Amino acid sequence: MRLMKKPRIALGIRAQLLLVLTVFLAIPWLGYEYVRELERFLRDAQERTLAGTAQAVATALHDRPRLFETRSPQGSLGSERGGDEGVASAPAAPSAERAGSPEIEQIIHALSRTTARIWVVDREQNVLARAGSLKRADPISVDAGASDSRLARAWTWLEREAFQPLYARVLSQPSEDFSDDGTGRTTAAGRDVEGALAGILTIDRRPTADGKAVIVSAANPIWVDDEVKGAVIVEETTNAVLAERNRAFARLFTIVLAALLIGSVALTLYASWLSTRIRRLRDEAEAAIDAQGRVRGVVTGSEAGDEIGDLSRSFASALARLAQYASHQEAMASRLSHELRTPIAVVRSSLDNLALQDLPEETRVVMARAQEGLDRLAHIITRMTEAARLEASLADAEPERFDLVQVVAGCVQGYRAAFPQQRIELGLSSGAVAFDGAPELIAQMLDKLVANAVEFARPGTAIEVKLEPEVAAVRLTVSNTGPPLPAGMGERLFDSMVSMRDEHTAGAPHLGLGLYIVRLIAEHHGGRASAADRAGGEGVTVSVVLPLVRALR
Amino acid sequence: MSRRIAIVEDEPAIRANYSDVLRKQGYEVAAYDNRPDALAAFRTRLPDLAIIDIGLGEDIDGGFALCRELRALSPTVPIIFLSARDSDFDIVAGLRLGADDYLTKDVSLPHLSARIAALFRRSDLSTAPKVSEETIQRGALTLDLKRLSAQWNGKRVELTLTEFWMVHALARYPGHVKDRESLMRDAKIVVDDSTITSHVKRIRKKFLAIDPAFDCIATVYGMGYRWSAEA
Repeated sequence: MRLMKKPRIALGIRAQLLLVLTVFLAIPWLGYEYVRELERFLRDAQERTLAGTAQAVATALHDRPRLFETRSPQGSLGSERGGDEGVASAPAAPSAERAGSPEIEQIIHALSRTTARIWVVDREQNVLARAGSLKRADPISVDAGASDSRLARAWTWLEREAFQPLYARVLSQPSEDFSDDGTGRTTAAGRDVEGALAGILTIDRRPTADGKAVIVSAANPIWVDDEVKGAVIVEETTNAVLAERNRAFARLFTIVLAALLIGSVALTLYASWLSTRIRRLRDEAEAAIDAQGRVRGVVTGSEAGDEIGDLSRSFASALARLAQYASHQEAMASRLSHELRTPIAVVRSSLDNLALQDLPEETRVVMARAQEGLDRLAHIITRMTEAARLEASLADAEPERFDLVQVVAGCVQGYRAAFPQQRIELGLSSGAVAFDGAPELIAQMLDKLVANAVEFARPGTAIEVKLEPEVAAVRLTVSNTGPPLPAGMGERLFDSMVSMRDEHTAGAPHLGLGLYIVRLIAEHHGGRASAADRAGGEGVTVSVVLPLVRALR
Repeated sequence: MSRRIAIVEDEPAIRANYSDVLRKQGYEVAAYDNRPDALAAFRTRLPDLAIIDIGLGEDIDGGFALCRELRALSPTVPIIFLSARDSDFDIVAGLRLGADDYLTKDVSLPHLSARIAALFRRSDLSTAPKVSEETIQRGALTLDLKRLSAQWNGKRVELTLTEFWMVHALARYPGHVKDRESLMRDAKIVVDDSTITSHVKRIRKKFLAIDPAFDCIATVYGMGYRWSAEA
């Protein structure tokens, strides 16, 4: 029997497995750590590259004192102002009046790259030449190989709409929209420049003035003879590294997400399969035992070799043992009566034997008492076997078509003669009811119902026997006025050897088999017996619903 | 010459009681507690009547086998099964093996001796010339109360004693309803209602075997049975 569920958190296997799956959410975090490591590596590489470039440029400028001859700083300043308008055009069309050093400009222009900016300064930190720009000419495209298949477009859309904002929260995005403070300067200051002018290759990292980007710079001294004549500064934003890092993270995230998705779908399917099997087993186990607690059928043990299959097999064997025990219990009454018959026969034949002899009157009285007790004992035994015998006779009862109304009416007439002290009312709400079954069994069932009602009826009250049509069935009810049903006995009343009578009730012995017989006969006819307190009044109604259409056994 | 009754019963107390009573009534009684002894004795000398228990100690169906063997030795000797078993199955099996009656051990000794006397009377008269005057005639039914035999349209209906007495009880007053209690009393048996029902079913079948149109035993639901006078 299923226990009532308490209102508490009940997680199915599927939910539990999905909960376990959340452990895998640590994977994106691990990926994040990995990507940061990658970022560090890329930065180092960038710094080394910049340092290498600075060294290369410096090498080209070493020992060329002519390039560092003193010139007017004003001129240089003016030209720097003029160069403000565009970095890309500045080296391409150097102005004629430009001071600085056209030669150096030429040299470094050849070396400059699109994302790096090269400065050359003299010892006074005046800018002698400059080439390249920190800003990219065109923004980094997110996905160069945009496919035109629908799936790929959907994926791109999803990436743009859902993932990019997410990445933006987690990672700093490279921006080309930073303020480049170095463009218009005529002097270069900073730790790196000072370091280089002191003769040491210095690498520095600093944010832009607006903090939107980080600039990495490497400064290398330019030697003329053994003297530092100036410095080469190579600068670059970390945007390329950031973009690389972000791309790596996006890729990782996508893969992990896909793996998680596939994993959870697979786990959900697996869990569904498991819980379906368990549910099927539960349903089978529940169906195997009916409301009265009797073993109805037997669970067919699963063939599966796993634990659930094992469970189902042990269910099957446990139920089989239970069924065996139950039938053993039910056969108990009949076996007991068989065992008792022989000693009773011994006593009876002895008493009969004694009775044939010439006995004094007192002895005869005593013998009569013994005989009376023996008769009662024999009666009990006969009652005990009745149910067992009925079960046997049900097996070979041949169904026939008969009029149910006629049988019920006939029986009620008989009861009026048998129980003159009780008024028995018959309520028939239809004409003939053709029924397939065993009329003598139906009569026996009604006997038990009426005998039961008579016993509990208050003297002088009426017992109602009713036969009412239902949908494809008839309902036979027997009601009496009297005490209500004991609480919780509704279903059990129809079990073998269950009686709700007080122990001291006088009269014939009760074994609680009457309603059990009712149930056996009702079930044999495909029907169902139930008992309830009478609606709107004290008393009990026992009803038997018999289906009119059913497969004949 | 006193009649000789064989009792085959494994329970000593019952065996002794039955033997005592029957001896007192002037019968010669031979009691056996197992099948081989009884069979050996029957081979030497047939009894005039045999009372056999079905379960004989370890030999749970020994009585059935003994009945078959005795019937093979003599087709006429009356055989009564006296058993604690009261299922329809056992009753039918016993009667099919050729027993003349089947009684459960609830039966009282006076009832048992009445049956024994009746069976002797029937076996005596079936061999004697027909000088019957005690008969009941109900349409096609003739009941010979001396021979305890029934005839339908002149054909003999093979009824056991119990069945004969039940038919007699019903047919004596056609149209009267006999409830199960009084049928039991008349047939001198103590059984429950469903056994009466199955007895009546068997009686009907025996008549139907002779006359498929037989319809004289009517069930009055809730009350009992009635011998309906033919139209």
